[in-house]
Amino acid sequence: MTQTTRRVALKVLGATLGASAFAHAMEPLRAWSKDLSLDQFLQRHYKELTSEELAEGIRRLERETREEYGREVTIRDIRPQEGVQFGYALSLSVCIGCRKCAEACHVENNHDRRTNNSYIRVLEMDQGSFDMEKGDATYEHAVPAKGKYYMPVQCQQCDNAPCVKVCPVQATWKEPDGIVAVDYNWCIGCRYCEAACPYHARRFNWTKPEVPAGEINPDQGYLSNRIRPQGVVEKCTFCLHRTREGRMPACLEACPTGARVFGNLLDPKSEIRWVLENKRIFVLKEELGTRPRFFYFFDV
Amino acid sequence: MHASLHLPGAAVILGLLCVAHAAGCQDRDQPPGLRPALDATPIASASVHRPDKLSGVSTDRRDSLGRPIRAACVTCHSLRRPDALPTSTAELDEFHVGLRFEHGGLSCASCHVIGEQDTLRKADGTLVPMRDAMQLCAQCHGPQLRDYANGAHGGMNGSYAGGARVRNHCVDCHDPHVPAFQPSMPVLPPRDRFVAAPGTGEGAHR
Amino acid sequence: MGKDTHAITYPRFLLRVIGQSFEGSWRFYLWMTVLTAIALVGANAWAHQLVEGMRVTGMSDHVSWGLYIANFTFGVGLAAGAVMMVIPAYLYDDHEMHDVVILGELLAIAAIVMCLLFIVADMGRPDRFWHILPGLGRFNWPISMLTWDVIVLNGYLFINLHISGYLIYTRYLGRKPDRKWYLPFVFLSIGWAVSIHTVTAFLYSGLGGRPFWNSALLAPRFIASAFITGPAFVILLLQLVARLTRLRVGDGPIRTLTSVLRVTVLLNLFMLGSELFTSLYTGGTHSTAVTYLFFGLHGKSALVPWIWSAVALNVASAALLHLPASRGSRAFLNAACVAAFAGVWIEKGMGLIIPGFVPSTLHELVEYVPSMAEWKITAGIWAVGFMVLTIAIKVALTVLTGEMAVEPRSGDTRTGEHAPPLMH
Repeated sequence: MTQTTRRVALKVLGATLGASAFAHAMEPLRAWSKDLSLDQFLQRHYKELTSEELAEGIRRLERETREEYGREVTIRDIRPQEGVQFGYALSLSVCIGCRKCAEACHVENNHDRRTNNSYIRVLEMDQGSFDMEKGDATYEHAVPAKGKYYMPVQCQQCDNAPCVKVCPVQATWKEPDGIVAVDYNWCIGCRYCEAACPYHARRFNWTKPEVPAGEINPDQGYLSNRIRPQGVVEKCTFCLHRTREGRMPACLEACPTGARVFGNLLDPKSEIRWVLENKRIFVLKEELGTRPRFFYFFDV
Repeated sequence: MHASLHLPGAAVILGLLCVAHAAGCQDRDQPPGLRPALDATPIASASVHRPDKLSGVSTDRRDSLGRPIRAACVTCHSLRRPDALPTSTAELDEFHVGLRFEHGGLSCASCHVIGEQDTLRKADGTLVPMRDAMQLCAQCHGPQLRDYANGAHGGMNGSYAGGARVRNHCVDCHDPHVPAFQPSMPVLPPRDRFVAAPGTGEGAHR
Repeated sequence: MGKDTHAITYPRFLLRVIGQSFEGSWRFYLWMTVLTAIALVGANAWAHQLVEGMRVTGMSDHVSWGLYIANFTFGVGLAAGAVMMVIPAYLYDDHEMHDVVILGELLAIAAIVMCLLFIVADMGRPDRFWHILPGLGRFNWPISMLTWDVIVLNGYLFINLHISGYLIYTRYLGRKPDRKWYLPFVFLSIGWAVSIHTVTAFLYSGLGGRPFWNSALLAPRFIASAFITGPAFVILLLQLVARLTRLRVGDGPIRTLTSVLRVTVLLNLFMLGSELFTSLYTGGTHSTAVTYLFFGLHGKSALVPWIWSAVALNVASAALLHLPASRGSRAFLNAACVAAFAGVWIEKGMGLIIPGFVPSTLHELVEYVPSMAEWKITAGIWAVGFMVLTIAIKVALTVLTGEMAVEPRSGDTRTGEHAPPLMH
């Protein structure tokens, strides 16, 4: 009898110890759950939000940016325009690889400062070769270098986008004007899209982005350059907070050589249409059938 | 750069361009965010920027407000009896000393006119005012002119949808004496996780 | 017994199951304490990962999946392979296998639990798990292969929970199980087992931008290696169970499983060779991942020791299984099983997931080495898997051997050897 009681007592002791050890192991989660509000937890998918819910969500995000980053920002939900299909072209004959586009993207889109994050990766390629294996994105010497040409790569806004197909929760989708958007408040961070993208266009927030208050771009879009939460995937949106209002993407404005041409594919008189109709055009990895909206061309 | 001479064609395009400028489609100042007017040819609504360097040179002085002082060409050229144009920059011993010139097989006289510092001369002898220097460029750089006229060269700014736009002049980007882009250091080296750029990785940063 | 009594007997049964989970010899307590400690270390590392972000891992935008997904993939194979016990038992009517089939199903349950934990560990936002629940969130079915995986993995978990739960419960009640309540599910589980690993292979092989994965042979290779790990683990498990419990298992099941292993180790090596030939003989850009994996590239060779260990282990297990000397020797067989298990763990883990990302889609060579946090979390999840397996087998065997029943049968000293088979 005493042995049984001793056994029970030992078990109770063991269970208590185990439970408290578990609680102790999970202690860090308290800091995490403090940041997570119930509204945020319950927020529905972007496409299912009523305009009031969206406005409420935007107010919350603006408040959070003020509290966490110390900056007043304006977040807007800018809808696609009718009769507009975005297209982007880049002249490989003109690009000199200065990475000013990547820098403009970094600044415009409130990227994490520690990692020099940018949606654009510029490859330095061997002239006479199209083998990306001979390319290098980490070059650190004066450009343009002899015997090299430069190929900036960013989201190609594919019409048959592998990233959109694989997302298990429809957190990324194709907008009516051709932009592949991400709902940062819906993404579960599985990174399947990152594995699926053939263009290394997607970025994951491995930690909370760090941007000094003074460097934050306060003109923000809900689906584009607002500061992203930790643990979600982000990508180039052709600066939709700019382009949906008729402005140029930041990377284009920063280009010192004028290598970039942007516009409405449905406008027959647009520059982008002239380029597509008159230049030697190609798209990256055409054989994959992704049907990019981003075109490369050569000057002849 | 190809130096093919498409002079007649180039002239026609340029002529159209100028007419379009003159027509001045300034009434296309629609508020942003609207549907683009599909009848707008954005290039037509653009005017061409007038770079300062076409009318003078920079000095190393600044005015009382700290703005750089530029000197009009005429400041010096009206005082001096013009010498014959040198055949190479090495002969410049008093003014424009150290001028770099790397522009094909041209010489000073290919474009400049003696005693007429505000005027340029095309290959056929026609004189064009300095501010229309693009016509001079166009006589050799036909493909570039064609691309420029269609918005595929020279960069874009303003609105893609027919809003106001000021287009770059050739010499905004290209030094006419050394037109090729000069090597410069790239900005923003990739520093993402575990990319092996020495001393620049995120780990090194911390 | 009327239907209404289930409402009383079933909760009571569950209570006794829970009680049984905390009951055991000092060996059991020691084993569970060690596993709990490892699991807690893992839980703590995971909590840190959640707060600080996944920067604590070794992953990057270039190699965006790592040890977690590698173990997930392996775990799915283990779960699928565990059902290898069922095929001879039911498709080929091998009666000796009937006794031990339930071990395979319990192993499948433990493996699937591990897989689900690995997925949670890999998620950047586990707090948004409800987004992937059909009906509640936005389930991108049937387009996303990941939604198929959610369905087949959870379905497989429930099928196996049902079969083993039903059989254990009826045995507890001292009744003969009704075939119509488990046999259809047993056959379903066979097909389903193949589907879980096929769908998991499709996760990767469907990505056109990753030539290393984009191969039609990937799903067959997955199945072949699943049918290595499952039997290899069960062979070891059966001997362990025979040594530690009163359940007596004949040599038949182990013989059958060894025969299966003899075929699948060779098949696996053959398919690996086919892939290697196709890649290396053709050469070109699409073979760079294979070159990197096996020989290193541009001075980078983090995976080379891994994959050659895998090849060595797989070849060794194949050799051991086919040596005439191994026929009578349990030591040889066990060594072969351990080698096969470890070899496939590397090959279907680090050797499969990482080279899909190296070189990256822009052909940059960024290497991946798992961080300490990843090792901790991975070890923790394996510990949880072993805990689930231990308790499941323990409970199953106490019922199976008649130690635990709804009404104690006095004088019933039957051990597994004499007990009637669990399934018919």
